[in-house]
Amino acid sequence: MAEGDFWSGYALPLVAMVLEILAIVVPLLLVVAYATYAERKVLAAAQLRKGPNVVGPFGLLQPLADGLKLFMKETVIPSGANRVVFAAAPMLTFVLALIAWAVIPFDPGVVLSNINVGILYLFAISSLGVYGIIMAGWASNSKYAFLGALRSAAQMVSYEVSIGFVMVTVLLCAGSLNISDIVLAQRHLWYVIPLLPMAVVFFISGLAETNRSPFDLPEGESELVAGYFVEYSAMTFALFFLGEYANMILVSAMTSILFLGGWLAPFGVPPFTWVPGPIWFFLKIAFCFFCFLWVRATFPRFRYDQLMRLGWKVFLPLSLFWLVLTAAFLTAFGMLPT
Amino acid sequence: MPVVSVPTILPALPEILTVCSAMALLMLGVFRGEGSTRLVSWLAVLALVLVLAVALARGGDRQIGLNGMFITDGFALFMKVLVLIGSAVSIVMAMAYNERERIARFEFPVLVLLATTGMLMMISANDLISLYIGLELQSLALYVVAAFKRDSAQSTEAGLKYFVLGALSSGMLLYGCSLVYGFAGTTNFAGLAAMFAEGNASIGLIIGIVFVSVGLAFKVSAVPFHMWTPDVYEGAPTPVTAFFSVAPKIAAMALFIRFLVEPFGALTAEWRQIIWFISVASMLLGAFAAINQRNIKRLMAYSSIGHVGYALIGLAAGTETGIQGVLIYMAIYLFMNLGTFTVILCMRRDGRMVEAIDDLSGLAKTQPALALALGIFMFSMAGIPPLAGFFSKVWVFLAAIHAGLYVLAVIGVVTSVVGAFYYIRIVKLMYFDEAKGVFDRPIGAEMQAILVVSSVVIMLFFVIPGPLLTSAELAAAALFPG
Amino acid sequence: MIIQAVCFYVFAAVAVASGVMVISARNPVHSVLFLILAFFNAAALFVLLGAEFLAMILVIVYVGAVAVLFLFVVMMLDINFVELRHGFLQYLPIGALIGFILFAELVLVIGYWALAPNIASVLAAPLPATAQVTNTQALGDLLYTRYIYAFQASGIVLLIAMIGAIVLTLRARAGVRRQDSSAQVYRPRAASVEIVKIEVGKGV
Repeated sequence: MAEGDFWSGYALPLVAMVLEILAIVVPLLLVVAYATYAERKVLAAAQLRKGPNVVGPFGLLQPLADGLKLFMKETVIPSGANRVVFAAAPMLTFVLALIAWAVIPFDPGVVLSNINVGILYLFAISSLGVYGIIMAGWASNSKYAFLGALRSAAQMVSYEVSIGFVMVTVLLCAGSLNISDIVLAQRHLWYVIPLLPMAVVFFISGLAETNRSPFDLPEGESELVAGYFVEYSAMTFALFFLGEYANMILVSAMTSILFLGGWLAPFGVPPFTWVPGPIWFFLKIAFCFFCFLWVRATFPRFRYDQLMRLGWKVFLPLSLFWLVLTAAFLTAFGMLPT
Repeated sequence: MPVVSVPTILPALPEILTVCSAMALLMLGVFRGEGSTRLVSWLAVLALVLVLAVALARGGDRQIGLNGMFITDGFALFMKVLVLIGSAVSIVMAMAYNERERIARFEFPVLVLLATTGMLMMISANDLISLYIGLELQSLALYVVAAFKRDSAQSTEAGLKYFVLGALSSGMLLYGCSLVYGFAGTTNFAGLAAMFAEGNASIGLIIGIVFVSVGLAFKVSAVPFHMWTPDVYEGAPTPVTAFFSVAPKIAAMALFIRFLVEPFGALTAEWRQIIWFISVASMLLGAFAAINQRNIKRLMAYSSIGHVGYALIGLAAGTETGIQGVLIYMAIYLFMNLGTFTVILCMRRDGRMVEAIDDLSGLAKTQPALALALGIFMFSMAGIPPLAGFFSKVWVFLAAIHAGLYVLAVIGVVTSVVGAFYYIRIVKLMYFDEAKGVFDRPIGAEMQAILVVSSVVIMLFFVIPGPLLTSAELAAAALFPG
Repeated sequence: MIIQAVCFYVFAAVAVASGVMVISARNPVHSVLFLILAFFNAAALFVLLGAEFLAMILVIVYVGAVAVLFLFVVMMLDINFVELRHGFLQYLPIGALIGFILFAELVLVIGYWALAPNIASVLAAPLPATAQVTNTQALGDLLYTRYIYAFQASGIVLLIAMIGAIVLTLRARAGVRRQDSSAQVYRPRAASVEIVKIEVGKGV
């Protein structure tokens, strides 16, 4: 093999790919860090407090200080814990939260990997999130952690079903599993308008999927101390924490892509089109993320049986019904995408 | 875009009707609650009758539908009629029993309907895939109804045993199917038949056929794959046992026949040895193992194993008359078995079921009508002329002789004589022994009706054998075109 | 090409190795985790084959749902696998015998393997050109048209499984107080709140 072949064939693409990955991951981590800041500020505002305001101007350096603190602390592994699984669980959570971004398009063509089955990939990755939790709960060898993990696993598996049906409904309208195509299919009309009930189901299921309030039973502070990561400290805890916020941002991004037209401007005319696509996308994600926080500030926690009831007896039939309705509508009016 | 057009669905109309009515009844039951069991049961019977009418109205023309995976012909029609009768009667038999045993739940008729769908699909299978799916559909529903009396250890044990062994046999069947597919490159029966007509049967195919046959032999409970039968028959609730002994057996027999005759008709010489062996083994075991039984349901299990052995004689012959013999045998077997199980269902003393054979002693003095009916069924099963059971046996033996299988016929006659011993012993118990007690009365109008109809059919078969014989002949002819 | 080959060998080797670990790991939870790893590698192999739809479905269904339940059960049941292995040696001969028979058959079959020359003509559903349709579409085309019968029938099989599970396990317990949300929501104010004017010094 010629030397030039090696460089142009393997090495350069590899370097380019690594750079691309870094270009996604680094801003993402920054956003994740500031998501925690945003959460504290929004909650504070909702509760008529000030929130972090000591470290740096407006407390803007608070996330960095928190990160530094966690980094400096000692990682404690409980004596009865299964060490390998215990250590693997937070890494898994974190990695899964990051690799999902590989298929998220930020603008036409600006995507790390434009695969045919992007939406399935996202669904697959989000369905794996439960492993980090269940492994953490089991490996901690603690009752609280295990209970939290069990709750969480049951909850995530239950809500995944309706998320799947919502996705299928969107796919029916878009006629493609490719995420960029799904976004482009919303050029004329964002799916949030025709599929409003599905968008609501998706968002609420997303709350459950990320174990966010009002479905945060797995980590319910008052009853389970902190659920599955009660035994985690320092960096392992930080990884969980980052993974969880990255997941929230991911669900926000998925909501934007599936229902809010991804990077598309609200109206395809100037001055809206002057704003670049990634900015729109960021704004939409920020809006969805704000809804997450808004819900947390507003609603009390669900009881576990109510949570299951909502998932299986309300969302599942509703999403199935809407799926059939959508399919029937599209077929009847010849609007099936080809 | 290729779309399944409506006409190709039409051959499957009876199946579609059955499954739709099952789902409708399920909804009805769920919304009306447990109180609706009787209503759902009768509606299920009505649905089966309706399906029967539709099937008959559509007639026995050879039609292939659903992209070649589904076939209806005279043979399928004949078997479907038998299965539908068996299922409908089983639901009727189960109603009063389930109520008395406090297991009356609306899911029972629904499950029987779904199992019946599976059986109809098995009978109409024209592809290895539809064969397997029909079989699974049927089996899964049967596992559940076997364990339907879920608070009884015996019933759950029966369900579990049936499930585990059934899964094993399904595995065998699938292994066989994959071998057949791997060597033939097609799963379609017509495609397979075309391949074998050219005479390329490799060793892999033969092994595949053997494995599929093993799976099917399990489903018809032929020796050496019969181990589950006595336990399941004994443990399952009695109406379920009645159902097991007729409908699934008929459906599996139909599948067995179609599988061996249609795609593998060119290989008759190869598979005849297998069938010959399991037929002989079933007859011998059915005759000898039944002698020592004390429990009437176990006895019926062995008896059914024996009967399958006799029916397989006709299949071993592999000729048109042989298949006709099997069809006649299964039809008469259906009536004999339903009648016998109706009597077994009437065996209750002080509100509890009794199942020992000795409990029948002196029945002639206390309940002469019941004793008479059981006597007729027993004589018929033993093959005493002029009852129907005699003719069904004669038919398969004659077919065997025509096909040159003299040994098989002789063994059949010998085991019939042995078998007659235990059937007639029951008659002796009823008529010549002291009464042990009285069974509860009344037995219920439905039961009386089933008893009367089945005993009349068995007694008077020799007067008007025409309809059954001609329809069986037509049905068998459908498998041997040209 | 080389990268593909390397990927294949890595994924295949890990899949086989984790398969071995599934049956040899001492801790049942580790077994399940290795099973998941094996699923993953199988999915990766699908991707290498160009069957990305199957790969994703494998991950979603088996890893995302089935294996979670496995893990659940294994964690909850606390099975003592050491005890289970007690009978292992006892059953080894018969297991080995059956394994040997199946293996011998496979050898026999493969030894006689000869693809029929006209095999292409009897194929039930020839593959469409992959350049024209994605494999998701190709699968859908077959599943919902040609094999609609098998597809629907499998759906009914699953329905039966569901009914069966409910019939055999659901028990309506007596004396359970159930929440009726609509009754709670529609409760009038008068039914729950009463305003009492209490005179000073008298108490309630």
